[in-house]
Amino acid sequence: MSDDHEHHHHAHETPAPETQDAGSQALGEALRSSFAIVKIVMALMVAAFFCSGFFQVGPSEKAIILRFGKPVGAGQKALLNSGLHWSFPYPIDEVVRIPFTEIQKVTSDNGWYFTTPEQELSGEELPAGPSLNPAIDGYVITADRNIIHTRATLSYHIEDPIRYVFGFTNAAGTVRNILDESVLYTAAHFKVDDALSDQDEFQEAVQQRAADLADQAQLGIAIDNCNIQNIPPRQLADVFTQVTTSRENSHNTVILAQTHANNTLLQAGAQSNAIVNEAESARTNYVSSVIADAKRFSDLLPEYESNRDLFVETTLLPVMGEALTNVQSTWLEPTTGGGTKIENRLMLNRVLPEPKPAANP
Amino acid sequence: MKRNILTLIVGAVLVVIFALLLFVFQVRQSETAVVTTFGKPVRDITEPGAYFKWPWPIQKVYKYDGRVQNFQDKFAETLTADYNNLITTVYVGWKISDAGEFLRKFPGDPDVSIPNAQEKLENILRSANIAAVGSNALSAFVNADPKQLKFDKIENEIEQTVTNQLSTNDWGVSIEFLGFKKIEMPQSVTQTVFDRMKSEREEIIKGYQSQGDAEAQNIRSTAERQAAETIANARAEATQITAAGEAEAAKTLPIFQQNPELAKYLLRIAALQQSLDQKTTLILDERTPPFDLFSHLPTNAPGTNP
Repeated sequence: MSDDHEHHHHAHETPAPETQDAGSQALGEALRSSFAIVKIVMALMVAAFFCSGFFQVGPSEKAIILRFGKPVGAGQKALLNSGLHWSFPYPIDEVVRIPFTEIQKVTSDNGWYFTTPEQELSGEELPAGPSLNPAIDGYVITADRNIIHTRATLSYHIEDPIRYVFGFTNAAGTVRNILDESVLYTAAHFKVDDALSDQDEFQEAVQQRAADLADQAQLGIAIDNCNIQNIPPRQLADVFTQVTTSRENSHNTVILAQTHANNTLLQAGAQSNAIVNEAESARTNYVSSVIADAKRFSDLLPEYESNRDLFVETTLLPVMGEALTNVQSTWLEPTTGGGTKIENRLMLNRVLPEPKPAANP
Repeated sequence: MKRNILTLIVGAVLVVIFALLLFVFQVRQSETAVVTTFGKPVRDITEPGAYFKWPWPIQKVYKYDGRVQNFQDKFAETLTADYNNLITTVYVGWKISDAGEFLRKFPGDPDVSIPNAQEKLENILRSANIAAVGSNALSAFVNADPKQLKFDKIENEIEQTVTNQLSTNDWGVSIEFLGFKKIEMPQSVTQTVFDRMKSEREEIIKGYQSQGDAEAQNIRSTAERQAAETIANARAEATQITAAGEAEAAKTLPIFQQNPELAKYLLRIAALQQSLDQKTTLILDERTPPFDLFSHLPTNAPGTNP
C-alpha cells in the first residue's frame, strides 16, 4: 500500500518541471513505465490474496473451515463436499481436510498367528511351531480356556466428523483398540465349539461390544458391519477336522439306521398284510369247500340210503381208477392158500451205490 | 490533503495488524491452552477461538493438543490370584483436561513434556494392570457363565486406579477409556493348552462315535421290535380269522350228522384221492377191486408164471 502511495506522489510531480533536460526526461519515462509495472503487480497481488481463498476438495475427502480456530457449521453441516470452495486466507480461516470414504475399515489381527498378506496369498506361510510366542503370534482365549485364532474387520462411517477429527489424535487407532478389546471380550464369553461353529453369533457379539465401546468413547462413528474369521490353532487343525468328520459320520450312521428301520417296518407291514390276506383266503376257501361238501353230502345222501353197496361201488371204483393212473407202479400180490409166504424185497434207496475201491480182493 | 488521509489510513491499518499479532492468539478446535503471566499459569482456555493476551515477555501461551491420544503399555506378565500366568496389554485413551495443571506438573515445551507425561503414565498403567490381574482369578477373565466373568469389572478397576492416581497427583490429565488389548499366556503354557485341547477333541470324537452307534442301534432295535409286534399281531389276527372260518364251517355239522357213515366214507375217498396224487408204489391184495377181476383169468393164475 505504501507503494501505491508513492506512485501517486510521482504522478503529481512529473508534469511540473517541463524545462528539464533530455536525461531527466528519459529517467522520468523509465520511472513512469516501472510504476506502471508495479501497479500491475500490485493488482495481481491483491487478486492473488483473494484467490488464495479458493481451494479444491477432492473426491475422496471432505473439508472443514476453522474460523479463528472454531469450525464453521456444526455436525454434518460443517463438512464441505468435493468441489471448489472459498475461505478467508490464513490467519482468519484455516482449511482442514479429512480423508473420507463413505465406509472406513479397521482390521484387528491381534488374535491371528504371525503371517504377512504376501505369505497368505502365496500360501507360503511359516509352518506352525509347537507353541505360540506371545510376542509375535496372536490368539484369544475362549471361555473354556481353549486357544483360537480370530481376525475381525469392522466397517463404520463417520457420523460426527468434528468429534472424529478434532476429538482424537488417531481416531482409526482408537477404533482398532476398541475392536481388539471387543474380540477379547467376546472370546471370553464363548466356548471354543460355539466360537468356531456359531461364527455369526460371535460376529454379532463383537459388533455389539464395539458399538457400545465406540458410544462410550464418543467416537462419533456408526458401525455398519463386522466380519469375523475364527479358526482353531493350526497345530490342532487335524484333530479339529476329525471332530467334524466324526460328527458327520455319526450323523450318517443314524441316517443309515433310520433308512434300515423304515425298510424293516415296511417289510413287516407287507408281511403282516400277507399273513392276514392268506388267512382270509384260506378261510374263504375252507368255508366254501365245507359248504360245497355239505351240499354234495345232501345231494348224495338219498342215493346212499337207497342202495348202499351200489353207491360204494360206483363211487369208489372211479376214484381207484383215477388214483392208479397217477401211481407209478402197482404190485399185485396173489392170494395164496395154505400159509405160503411171499417175500418181497424192497430197495428203498433207488440211487445206485458208488462202486467200492478194491481194498479187499 | 487526500494524500495525508490515505497515509493515515494505511498507517492505522498497519498498526492494528501489528497490535493484533502482539495481543491476540488463536486456539484451534483441537487445542487446549494456558496463558502464563511471568511464567505463572493464570488462564485455561478450552474453547476454540481468538483470545487476547499481553505481549511477551509479560504473558506467554502454551498450546497443547487437547485431543484424545492413544496409548498402550508394553505387555506385562503377571500371576493371577489362582497362580495362572497371564500376559496382558492395556490400551488407554487419555487427554490433557487441565492445561494449567499439566503445565505445572510437566513444565516446558509440549514436544518434551508430553512424551515425558506418557512415560510416567505407562508406569502408573503398568502397576494398576498388574495389581488388577493379580487380584483376580483366571475364571474372572474367561468364563462361559456371564455372572462369573468380570472382564468389565477388571477393566473398570484398572481405570479407577489410574484415574485416582492422576487426580491425586494433579496431572491435569484425564482417562477417557481403557481396555484390554491382549490377554495371552506364556509360550510354554500354550503347549500344555494344546495338549489338553487335543485330548478334549479326542474325547469328543469318541463321544460322537459312540453316540451315533448307540442312537443307530436304538433306532434299529426299536424298528425290529415294532416289526415283530406287527407280524405277531398279524398272526393273531390270522388265527382269529381261521377260528372264525372254522366256526362258520362248524355250522354245517348238522348236515353231516344226518348220516355220519356216509360222511366218513366221503372223507375217506377224498383222503385217498389226495394221497395217491404223487409218485407212489402201491402193493395191493389181488382181491382188491377192481384188480379182483384179474384173478379170474387163467393165464394169470399163480404158479403159471414162467
